[in-house]
Amino acid sequence: MSKAPALELIDIHKTFTDVEVLKGISLKAYDGDVISILGSSGSGKSTFLRCINLLENPTKGEIIFNGESLKLASSGRDLAAADMKQLTKMRQQIGFVFQSFNLWPHMTVLQNVMEGPAHVLKRPKQEVMDYAEHLLNKVGIADKKHMYPNQLSGGQQQRVAIARTLAMDPQVILFDEPTSALDPELVGEVLGVMRKLAEEGRTMLIVTHEMSFAKEVSSEVVFLHKGVVEEKGTPDKVFNSPDSERCRAFLSSTY
Amino acid sequence: MIDLHGFGDQLLQGALITVELAMASLAVGLVLGLLGAAAKLSSIAPLRWLATIYTTIVRGIPELLTVLIIYFGATIVLMAIASQFGYDDYIEVGPFAAGVTALGLTFGAYATEVFRGALQSIPKGQHEAATALGMGAFRKFQRIILPQVWRVALPGLGNLFLVLLKDTALVSIVGLDDIMRKANIAVSSTKQPFLFYATAAVMYLLLTIISMVVVTWLEKRASRGMRRG
Ligand SMILES: Nc1ncnc2c1ncn2[C@@H]1O[C@H](COP(=O)(O)OP(=O)(O)O)[C@@H](O)[C@H]1O
Ligand SMILES: [Mg+2]
Repeated sequence: MSKAPALELIDIHKTFTDVEVLKGISLKAYDGDVISILGSSGSGKSTFLRCINLLENPTKGEIIFNGESLKLASSGRDLAAADMKQLTKMRQQIGFVFQSFNLWPHMTVLQNVMEGPAHVLKRPKQEVMDYAEHLLNKVGIADKKHMYPNQLSGGQQQRVAIARTLAMDPQVILFDEPTSALDPELVGEVLGVMRKLAEEGRTMLIVTHEMSFAKEVSSEVVFLHKGVVEEKGTPDKVFNSPDSERCRAFLSSTY
Repeated sequence: MIDLHGFGDQLLQGALITVELAMASLAVGLVLGLLGAAAKLSSIAPLRWLATIYTTIVRGIPELLTVLIIYFGATIVLMAIASQFGYDDYIEVGPFAAGVTALGLTFGAYATEVFRGALQSIPKGQHEAATALGMGAFRKFQRIILPQVWRVALPGLGNLFLVLLKDTALVSIVGLDDIMRKANIAVSSTKQPFLFYATAAVMYLLLTIISMVVVTWLEKRASRGMRRG
């Protein structure tokens, strides 16, 4: 492993008002890694993921993307981007899929997927449209491209949201509980799309409660507890012989 | 046919002025309203104070007084400024400019609250989805937030416009040749107050109905995709 990690997080801390939610989390993702992040509710999984692309400003820590350290400067108690250009560029290459989809309701499915490449990356319209249709096809929504998000089921909306992220050709994709807002019968279709992405060799960080999915697709599993990495390793290690007692208790309660 | 004693054309010209005044005030007011809302939601405290002072003063003064104060005050203020630059001739602020300023300020103060509510009603996730894509703040506002704010704000703004339309009549007091003043002129020359005031009322009513039709059409257009189908 001489190649630099695609994404490296070093000693990420986050304090909200008076509670330290992240207490120093470090993580490396190499190209093609699929890292699942597990943990009970409130353990800091979302906060950690949101600190990576500065949807949340970390209180302390370093973010290195493609060997380039994100420039940060103190802003009150937290760190904020010191170079907006650099941050914007990094965000364009790190996709984020939300638990609540966050599709834009005033745009059609196709417009949602085209928005990034057309208006952020400023790629030619026809090329963007062809690519968007290709991606919608890939996530199985091609026939709904002229509908509005509110006319789709949750599973369909999340697949559109994944296509919207893919349209930017991100190098790394972050997923924050992508199936937690879905009715149980719709979870499978979204996991199916994500499995396909993993097989393609996409680099992904996935916060999830879908244990069998995590076990199957991950190259590494991380278990967070109260803002620290309590356990990490191969899926086999974490699921079958974890060192941490808490990790074992968590897995037996949910899996 | 009702006999308007030859004042029909005059009244129509007045209607044109009324519509022009209303549209110009609307444009000024929409811009002020958006700026006011942005200021009220700003993290910069002096901007919030400024916006609060603006909306409090304008909403606390009767519209008629605002029109008079702007009309007579603007001349004094402008002449004072001009004399600083060695220009001492009389400067007149026309009734139209004064009317647009007064009604634009008024509309803007009320629209500030409408826009503020609409901006706050947009879920945080809408902003975050754009930010996470690497979209800049300006583009995010223009492409993602404003279209949704517009949809939420439209009914409230439509209502304010109907009020504005009728407040234009106040500007006749400083000599603007709108429907109201044309009607007054006709009354004093024909001594038929009921005829001309009723005609003026019908004209305002017609303008109101047209406005309502336009607003309904805009609302329908803006809410595409918003209902579950
Ligand atoms: N914006 C915020 N302000 C204050 N506290 C927050 C905020 N976001 C999250 N928290 C707190 O941080 C802790 C971790 O939250 P989160 O990262 O969402 O956990 P998880 O995703 O693992 O469920 C929780 O106790 C939560 O209440
Ligand atoms: Mg969470």
